[in-house]
Amino acid sequence: MPKFWRKVFLIYLKDLKDEFRTTDHLLSTLVFGTMLVFVFSFALQLVEIGTAQVFPAVLWVSIFFMAILALQRSFAKEQDNGALDALLLASGDRSILFYAKFLFSLTVLLLLEVVVVPLLWIFIDVAGAKANLWFFLGAVFLGSWGLAAVGTLLNGITVQLPGARLLFPILLFPILIPLLLGAILCTQGALVGEIKAVSGWMYLLVIYDLLFTILPLLLFDYVLEG
Amino acid sequence: MKHGLKSPLFWILTLIMLVNIYVIAFYAPVEKTMGIVQKVFYFHVASAWVGLLALCVVFAASVLYLWKRSERTNNLALASAEIGTVFISCTLLTGPLWAYPIWNTWWTWDPRLTTTLVLWFMYVAYIALQGGSATESRKRLAAVYGIICVVNVPLVFFSTRWWRSIHPVVVTSEGMALTPKMKVAMFLSVGVFSLLYVYLLNIRLKSLDLEQRVKRLKAELFA
Repeated sequence: MPKFWRKVFLIYLKDLKDEFRTTDHLLSTLVFGTMLVFVFSFALQLVEIGTAQVFPAVLWVSIFFMAILALQRSFAKEQDNGALDALLLASGDRSILFYAKFLFSLTVLLLLEVVVVPLLWIFIDVAGAKANLWFFLGAVFLGSWGLAAVGTLLNGITVQLPGARLLFPILLFPILIPLLLGAILCTQGALVGEIKAVSGWMYLLVIYDLLFTILPLLLFDYVLEG
Repeated sequence: MKHGLKSPLFWILTLIMLVNIYVIAFYAPVEKTMGIVQKVFYFHVASAWVGLLALCVVFAASVLYLWKRSERTNNLALASAEIGTVFISCTLLTGPLWAYPIWNTWWTWDPRLTTTLVLWFMYVAYIALQGGSATESRKRLAAVYGIICVVNVPLVFFSTRWWRSIHPVVVTSEGMALTPKMKVAMFLSVGVFSLLYVYLLNIRLKSLDLEQRVKRLKAELFA
């Protein structure tokens, strides 16, 4: 088992190194994310809606859209020169590849959120006096975890189909609905400081995350076959 | 087996459907408070049932495909998903017809409504994934996605139910909130719609089969 995780870690490091060598994709995604956040906050400002109440919804919809770009990257970078086959040969186990790509996607997503989430917080002018920051961060982390897990699994599917880039969000969003629900309610509860009332939703997030982190062990062999 | 107007099955099914419509219209009593609009219930429930039945078939066929890799199981999954989409669409269209006069709104975010809509989206995504050239990898990946969708359905349902529910629960563990005549009409509808599903599935399987045969023959001819 340690050998398994060592291989996961090595591929993960390789991906990170590769990503920071040419930061254009990461930067474009970041710019897209900040723009999303700006457009949403600005649009809500125009209709003079109680913006602080819509913060959880806007936050997660922005993260979802940003994730479409961020998560498509994990397998797409292995498309040229048969890199995917080489990686499979080198690692010997398909689930190693899944977990490495999952960790990579999660890291990228969290890095993007470090910028985008505070920005949205400022734009929307959240009254965070009663907010439970740790619970909020926990919700963001668990939400991103599930997003990265499902995204990596489905990206493994769409990357093999030529001209199927558009399919990725179409496949992704219906599967993410329970996550969206749990994440938004947790975020809302964290903001008003009533975490007791929403702690059940945190469990839902944990169950969802575990399910879609373990399910690929069974399914990912079929995804990357052949 | 004969097809179309020549098929005896077609005429038998047509006859049963006419009987079903008669039972719904005249045999089942008019609901006291909701009135005539309650009749849509028989179509609504039956198509929702077929939508779920079709999903189970998609799941079973997907698992079988990953196991056996036969073209027939993939055809079964695809055909079932296509027909399931049609029936789920019927459910989503008949629901608002009833909901507007009774709930005074076309749509509400009730667990069943939400789950049905998500199910519809997953069906469409599944068909989109199967679409285009039917290569081996497409079939395999679609089968994986079919399994993911089925795993997701209970998650969606229970999370949204936890959140809120106003949908009338007609069938509970304690029995059904229906008069005996209504029950007859409902079960008949469910049965007839299931038969319709099997009939349509058969036709679609046949057409997929022919499609693939034509493709094979073409390949042989131009080889």
